Amino acid sequence: MTDSLGQQKAVNIKAQLQACRSKEDTFKALVTLSKTLTRLSADEKIEENKIKGCESAVWLIVEEKGNERHFKADSDAKLMRGVLVAILSLVQGKTRADIQQIDLKAELAELNLSHYLTSSRTNGVLAILDRITSH
Amino acid sequence: MAFDPLSIRSQFPILAQQAYDNPLIYLDNAATTQKPLSVLEAMQNYYLTANANVHRGAHYLSDMATDQFENARQRVAQFLNAPEQSQVIWTKGTTESINLVAYGLEHLIQAGDEILITSLEHHANLVPWQQLAFRTGARLRVLPLTSDAQWQEELTHYFTERTKIFAVTQVSNAIGVHTPIETLIQQAKQHGAFTLVDGAQAVAHYPVDVTKLDCDFYVFSGHKMYGPTGIGVLYGKHHALEVLMPYQTGGEMVSKVSYQATEFNVLPYRLEAGTPHMEGAIGLATACDFIDQQDRQSMLAWEQQLANHVWVTLQKAANVEIYSPEQHTTLVSLSVPNIHTLDLNAYLDSQGIAVRAGSHCAQPLMAQLGVSGTLRASFACYNTMQEANRFCDVLLEAIDLLNDE
Repeated sequence: MTDSLGQQKAVNIKAQLQACRSKEDTFKALVTLSKTLTRLSADEKIEENKIKGCESAVWLIVEEKGNERHFKADSDAKLMRGVLVAILSLVQGKTRADIQQIDLKAELAELNLSHYLTSSRTNGVLAILDRITSH
Repeated sequence: MAFDPLSIRSQFPILAQQAYDNPLIYLDNAATTQKPLSVLEAMQNYYLTANANVHRGAHYLSDMATDQFENARQRVAQFLNAPEQSQVIWTKGTTESINLVAYGLEHLIQAGDEILITSLEHHANLVPWQQLAFRTGARLRVLPLTSDAQWQEELTHYFTERTKIFAVTQVSNAIGVHTPIETLIQQAKQHGAFTLVDGAQAVAHYPVDVTKLDCDFYVFSGHKMYGPTGIGVLYGKHHALEVLMPYQTGGEMVSKVSYQATEFNVLPYRLEAGTPHMEGAIGLATACDFIDQQDRQSMLAWEQQLANHVWVTLQKAANVEIYSPEQHTTLVSLSVPNIHTLDLNAYLDSQGIAVRAGSHCAQPLMAQLGVSGTLRASFACYNTMQEANRFCDVLLEAIDLLNDE
């Protein structure tokens, strides 16, 4: 049940982002997506959960449920929250093996988010992907 | 006569392009300025006609390269009103200049000595001194300038007989204020401290006279004043440069070498190990020409007018907090409560507007202001009033789009 819902959500997010024709469209789509993120509580936003390398603060929590990996994340910047929704939609509830099969960089490029994959210190999306895959 | 940015804009072809289908508006000049054609051509001409290693070969090209390279040093000395060209040391930029001094003075610093900086410094004029303090057991003290950077009598207590080095920025990179530099230097000198002025944010805008400033060291980068990257300057008084221990050794900086010992070369070469950034020096000298060819007073007035116009426009808008002063600055630094500056930056970028968002490599200052970062629009001579207005309009649009919660 959650799987099919999650699946549908991922498809929707993909469609929304792929429909963007400009940087402005992507900006607005990320703002919309950001509103769907379940925010972390203050006691979850601790140093241990913080991703280094992001100029905006990003927290990521990984929980193992059997073989499945479940992720919760938050950021103090709105666009980053939108990006987190997009990233988590690709990996949520999947097994470690499945996640390792996904070329996350290529997937995000397909979502018009390659701008967020530069090694610039402005964002730490690569650091987020690292923690998702290697945790 | 009013300065006309359009009269020089054609010298900056990079500005003519589109960014994501919008006219590019470049307001990140405090990070680095764009380069006029004259600078690019000077560097290309050097390679097309004069390239050889300087100071070494006795041949046609080497003589030409050495002449051009040393003339560039002379040009920069003149630009700064330095008495002699041997007081101009080439470096990679401001950061290397400060490190060169921090390492060079280390042998004179003892445990218990004090190194004084101000609360308006960016990391380049903080971390090298902090690390010097760690290495020597000296104490790093911070002169608490407020965000208007006014001199106050009670600050005199920070200058003591133990103060060995005083390092201060001339203009804050993050909030654009001028420090009361003359008073500060005199205070430091009364206690016999070495004085270093970080001019990185000043040189593109304000005429600099190091002789009048009377500081021991003055440092800046070429790339923030229409010159190339990878070249900067350490100016120093003779006696101050003489006491610096070279922190890099190798070729060029020696006069006699055996396996047992090395005799160092004279200034400025003693502090310039290795083959220098020759075309960079020539480009920087040409950038000095570019700046001096303008009516500097009206050019500065124009840049300040742009910043003031943005300040006044945004001041009227609800919910914008501005940290830069209303007058006498060439940048505007602001934040919007409950909106991340990176989000504002992303929308401005989507409209082709380049600004800087973040802590501006000045995290302690951001903490003092109580923000994680600011959005900074910084102006140069080629910016237009239309661009300033567009920045304000798009920023207000961004606030609307992001302010829905």
